Amino acid sequence: MPRYRIIYSKRGPARYISHLDLVRALERSMRRAGLPIAFSEGFNPHPRMSFAAPLPVGIEGLAEVMDVEMTAPVPRRDLADRLNAALPPGLAVKEVLEVADNAPAPMAVLDKAAYIVHLDADDLPAPLFECTVEEFLALDKVEVSRRGKNGREKTRDIRPGIIKMEVQSRVCGLTMRLELKTGSAMNVRPEEAMTALFRHAGIPVDPVELEITRMKLFAGDSGLD
Amino acid sequence: MDKQLEKILRRVQKPGRYAGGEWNAVRKDWSSTYIKMAFAFPDVYEVGMSHLGMQILYGAVNEREDALLERVFAPWPDMEEQMRKTGLPLFSLESRKPVRDFDIIGFTLQYELSFTNILNMLDLAGIPLRTEDRAGDDFPLVVAGGPCAFNPEPLAEFIDAFVLGEGEEIVNELLDAYLESRRRGEGWREMLLRLARIDGIYVPSFYEVEYNEDGGIKSVTPTVGGVPALVKKRVVADIENVYFPTRPVVPAIESVHDRAMLEVQRGCTRGCRFCQAGVIYRPVREKEPETLLRHAREIIGATGYGEISLTSLSTSDYSRVRPLVSDLTRKHGDTGVNVSLPSLRVDAFSVDLAKEVQKVRRSSLTFAPEAGTQRLRDVINKGVTEENLMEAVTAAFSGGWQAIKLYFMIGLPTETDADLAGIVELARRVLQRGRELVTARGRLKVTVSVSSFVPKSHTPFQWEPQDTMEELRRKQAFLRERLRGKGLVFNWHDPETSFIEAVLSRGDRRLAGAIEAAWRKGSRFDGWSEFFDLNKWLAAFDETGIEPGRYAHRRYNYEDILPWDHIGAGVSKKYLVKEHRRAMDGQTTHDCRGGRCPGCGLCPTLAVKPYMAGGETVAPVQDNL
Ligand code: SF4
Repeated sequence: MPRYRIIYSKRGPARYISHLDLVRALERSMRRAGLPIAFSEGFNPHPRMSFAAPLPVGIEGLAEVMDVEMTAPVPRRDLADRLNAALPPGLAVKEVLEVADNAPAPMAVLDKAAYIVHLDADDLPAPLFECTVEEFLALDKVEVSRRGKNGREKTRDIRPGIIKMEVQSRVCGLTMRLELKTGSAMNVRPEEAMTALFRHAGIPVDPVELEITRMKLFAGDSGLD
Repeated sequence: MDKQLEKILRRVQKPGRYAGGEWNAVRKDWSSTYIKMAFAFPDVYEVGMSHLGMQILYGAVNEREDALLERVFAPWPDMEEQMRKTGLPLFSLESRKPVRDFDIIGFTLQYELSFTNILNMLDLAGIPLRTEDRAGDDFPLVVAGGPCAFNPEPLAEFIDAFVLGEGEEIVNELLDAYLESRRRGEGWREMLLRLARIDGIYVPSFYEVEYNEDGGIKSVTPTVGGVPALVKKRVVADIENVYFPTRPVVPAIESVHDRAMLEVQRGCTRGCRFCQAGVIYRPVREKEPETLLRHAREIIGATGYGEISLTSLSTSDYSRVRPLVSDLTRKHGDTGVNVSLPSLRVDAFSVDLAKEVQKVRRSSLTFAPEAGTQRLRDVINKGVTEENLMEAVTAAFSGGWQAIKLYFMIGLPTETDADLAGIVELARRVLQRGRELVTARGRLKVTVSVSSFVPKSHTPFQWEPQDTMEELRRKQAFLRERLRGKGLVFNWHDPETSFIEAVLSRGDRRLAGAIEAAWRKGSRFDGWSEFFDLNKWLAAFDETGIEPGRYAHRRYNYEDILPWDHIGAGVSKKYLVKEHRRAMDGQTTHDCRGGRCPGCGLCPTLAVKPYMAGGETVAPVQDNL
């Protein structure tokens, strides 16, 4: 069956919906667009879609990745146009690629993501210096603890997962660019990395104030898009 | 506002409830649209978005060029906390405008336990709670409609005008009158007078209530000329051609009913004597199958839903249901669209229907015999026999279902322990049948769910008292002890919420203070067990000098003036008395759908007629006794 890779953005009101709601919204959009979606077999057939990485509620994504199967070939342009006309505000197709039938799922090859994180001046009690970031990156270990599903506290070292971290702008607060390991092998969340950085800098920042945008998803050095 | 809202949305559990931007949401130009109305649903987004009435009014008003209708739902407590902390006022989803800036706010009253949410929403909008405090100032007009408007009295001090009955026609008359009033530069009072002259609109401030020494009602009289002593509900006579939303707003986050809704008919005249919906949505009006097929095609095309639900009070009664189901499955099945049926009548026919639409029998089938013995089922006029039930469950078990849910009501008029024992016996018999027919015995499950009877206005049981909470608890314990064992599950509703529901549904104007006090003490989302707190309500009654038991447990006499007697649901009081007497004698009354009219008085009074697909009708009798 023909398989397509859809690069899309999730912004505006759409960034407030959960991954499951996104799946539902895409299914409905494809039906509205009259696309020949392929369904899974079994009790509760659902469209054959697979996503590179679910985006947490509230985070914007500019180039998210999903694969979808159709029962008949659709020209790429056509697919993009029809779907765009049927997507709710905030969701938009940027590009459609054809993917070989036997190509690995996007989730299987994904290993890195790039983010932009912004903090308003009001929410940053003290300036963050370049040298503090460098100092942070020079650490051998960055331990963070997170409560696991079983309620037990788990501590792990996220330093190997922080690939890049740099100040991008100081206009209206602070804007940083991050590259973090993402995927099944190692997964570091942007607010985790930022919280660790601010802790190291001794600046009390409420992580809920971080405005996060996922810019791009990578498999190795090449983008999934 | 957007930056502030964004910051807030990062702090709440489900920001999608407040973000708007759904498919098919209508966003009109604010400044060039004459009338701006907000549709306020006093419950959370996922509940409100599941409501067909909202979608109907939304579409009907937004079709007009001169008006816009935007949605607003009750903010969940986490959102309320953020709004109060930051001073963000209640806003609409479409243009994110403060609700205060609208011309009209329309609340829908689906259940009494949402009343405190109405006050909370007004308060969050920065609008004074009471009509008298809004009069003359530049506040929006506050109107309300829906089932609970049939006893509007507990909310009389908070709502400027109530709309009785089906809204799709009257909403336009309301908007026209509002426009006209504004064009003429009329004041607050003149505008309300103009509204009060529209059939189906009740303006409580034009009526004076006098009380007897014993606390009962002495009289309800209009205080101005030109307003009716009895305000009659509105009914859509031509259901076939009235507006129906084929481009409903598709919820952004999963809602309670997240599927396309196809209303196959309106009204149910089976005449269950506890049922208010059966009275207020009379008479039965079916839609033609061709119209429904066209609507279905349009809705699926415009929403992309993968499921279409045939809605109505009792869908298996729709005379063309079988061909409709087959046609829908045939036409839409291969694009992954399923048909679903919300409520099943208790018989084998309905199970066959369910079989046709549900290829996978994973969920359970639900039946509502309502009472445990034939005697009591006759009292409540539930035309279901034990044989019907056994046939239905036999068909279900042999059709592959392993789980059955049975709904009953406890505390019904004339109920004794023998009727409760009847529930146990029925459940066991159903379980036994399951043992005979279900191969995967481990999966066999019979769930008995009991709710408590709440006497509702305009029903034959409106005079009946509700059981006390102690008595309801005793009855629940009686059932709980006996409904133990493998394969049986027993669920019950909290009698405390049913008690407050009864007080509010039989209440009068004197409850206003208590409702406000309960809200001030923090009552919100009373219909949600995690938030409901009886003690807040009891303290509120205490503070305002109300004895709630007098409302819930009182038996009214036929001669008494009831708080809602000046509201006309169409069914005559004489008929309700007759029905109540027949109930006490254990006599049943047939459904007028079968062709014979038992004379409830509604059709002659409201100049309507039952209508069956294909043009059949019933000849309503003129004189009802
Ligand atoms: S008047 Fe007769 S036909 Fe009309 S709803 Fe009442 S019982 Fe049915």
